[in-house]
Amino acid sequence: MNHKIRRKFLWTLFLIGLALLAAATQATTLARLSFDELTERATAIAHVRCLSTSSIWRNGEIWTQTEFEVLESNKGTLPGILHVELPGGRMAHLQSRVDGVPNFRAGEEAYLFLWNAPSKEMYLLGWTQGTFRISHDPQTGLDRVTQDSAASSLFDPTTRQFRHGGVRNLPLPVFQLKLKRALEKENR
Amino acid sequence: MKELMRATISFFLAGTLLSASARTAAGYAFNEIVPDVRLPAQFSGGSACPIPSRQPTAAGSIQLRWSTALSSSPLTILTQDQTASGRLNEIEQVIQQSVVVWTGVSGVTLKAASFAPLARVAPAISCGAEGINSICFDQPDMAFTPGVLAFTRVVTADRAGEQLPNGTASAAPGQILDADIFFNPGDSNVIFSTPAALSANPKSYDLESILTHELGHFFGFSHSAIWSAMMYPYAPAPGTISGTRPSVQSPDAPLADDDRTGLRILYPDSTDLVHIGSIQGRILPANPLSLPASPPGVTGLFATHVVAVDAATGAVVAGAVGGWSCTSPGPAQFDGSYLIQALPVGHSYQIYAEALNGAVNPSQISNALTPLCRNPITDAGWPPLSSCVVPQPDVSFTLRVRPSP
Repeated sequence: MNHKIRRKFLWTLFLIGLALLAAATQATTLARLSFDELTERATAIAHVRCLSTSSIWRNGEIWTQTEFEVLESNKGTLPGILHVELPGGRMAHLQSRVDGVPNFRAGEEAYLFLWNAPSKEMYLLGWTQGTFRISHDPQTGLDRVTQDSAASSLFDPTTRQFRHGGVRNLPLPVFQLKLKRALEKENR
Repeated sequence: MKELMRATISFFLAGTLLSASARTAAGYAFNEIVPDVRLPAQFSGGSACPIPSRQPTAAGSIQLRWSTALSSSPLTILTQDQTASGRLNEIEQVIQQSVVVWTGVSGVTLKAASFAPLARVAPAISCGAEGINSICFDQPDMAFTPGVLAFTRVVTADRAGEQLPNGTASAAPGQILDADIFFNPGDSNVIFSTPAALSANPKSYDLESILTHELGHFFGFSHSAIWSAMMYPYAPAPGTISGTRPSVQSPDAPLADDDRTGLRILYPDSTDLVHIGSIQGRILPANPLSLPASPPGVTGLFATHVVAVDAATGAVVAGAVGGWSCTSPGPAQFDGSYLIQALPVGHSYQIYAEALNGAVNPSQISNALTPLCRNPITDAGWPPLSSCVVPQPDVSFTLRVRPSP
């Protein structure tokens, strides 16, 4: 195998590895929002814990309704218990699937960036983009924050550069500081 | 690197087998569903093996309509023709062209004739889970927020005979009962342009690229792991397109080989004598004691990334997440198997396997893997013999190659 093919092989594998992550977490066509844009456009931001999920029929669609306990409200006014609906779910023998919609498990903690639709419903801003999950790293004992949509880098074929467009594995205190600064910037 | 390449070549020799009838972890993440084996076999098929969702392909069996209600405040679809009828005709042309991109792929049973004539419907709210495939540009209240351009919602059933109000009953589990495509109707920052209008509106998104991608979901795709593929998950930047525009000579031009391969796996044509190659193998730990004790029965590495590369050109042909197989009546066995299908014959391929570590956080791919199993915890009364539990992905290993037997 000559050098050129070998380089192409390695380069392609690298791209696939990055893309695979996206494949698992994204299936909706998104426009990228920066952290500052998310902070600015969110009508509410909160640290929450998932209590339960259930599927319901509403307006001819299957929706998944997730109930969260609001642990800390960082922006806007929220009730102690928050309900967020997203399309997709399972009802009896039917499975309605919208890949890329964030799914939550009971007990899971996250920072959610929420947006009030004109219909007054509270939705997740940018879906995976407004979902920042908190995970516990057993090796270091640290809590880390990863944005659902930051699973992959965005590759620009023109410049052949990768752009890491989101929050990945950020220590929780660093994320909280980042959020605080973004909120301060918005309030200036 | 030389050692790695030699290893991959040897690995290829060790892993190559003929096509198998059993389901095995294959390229692409399809919309899988495990049939409800609590029901009689006439409804479930009698197997707990995961099935990818598909559209029917018989002549005229895919109904598709689109809502002519378009957002006017803000105006979200830009066309070159500004007249009312011309605008609709231009959008309809984009829809038809996007369908032709997929039906133009050779070696598949999905044909243009599989579609009934494209229909128009007036109400904005035409995309319900009622059994009619629809495209909506102005449907409110679908959880759209800033940053979400479009999505496709696919309804399938885990049994035959399931029916939505206005649809036909499913002939088998996994048949798509309703697939609707929604475009964001109310965000002034999200504007789509037809190909004719794109160059004059470089800040808008190419409607044809996004619709072609969403139609991939409509046909049963999740996403490709190849960045150049149509099914790569991110939209092209405003003012740009995915791939190249289709032409009479190349009606499927916007697709990459990877998209075509996926379509051939989903809709195989038994008369296709070209794309019938497959590579199958297993990825096993050198030390079986390293396998997890829980869940029981895991005999190979799970959620490994396996890639087939054309030996002559270095081009990636397909990628797969390996780790499981399933032989009727199921359930899925986590034996390290992988299968890459629908490869053109007469080519040599190299196989490479890697752990999903570093760039991939296993917890973030769990949604793509958990549908492989059902059990009494997920479904009350599920028979134990048809039950399985998806193991944790193996994220830490290095590759060695066992010579061919």
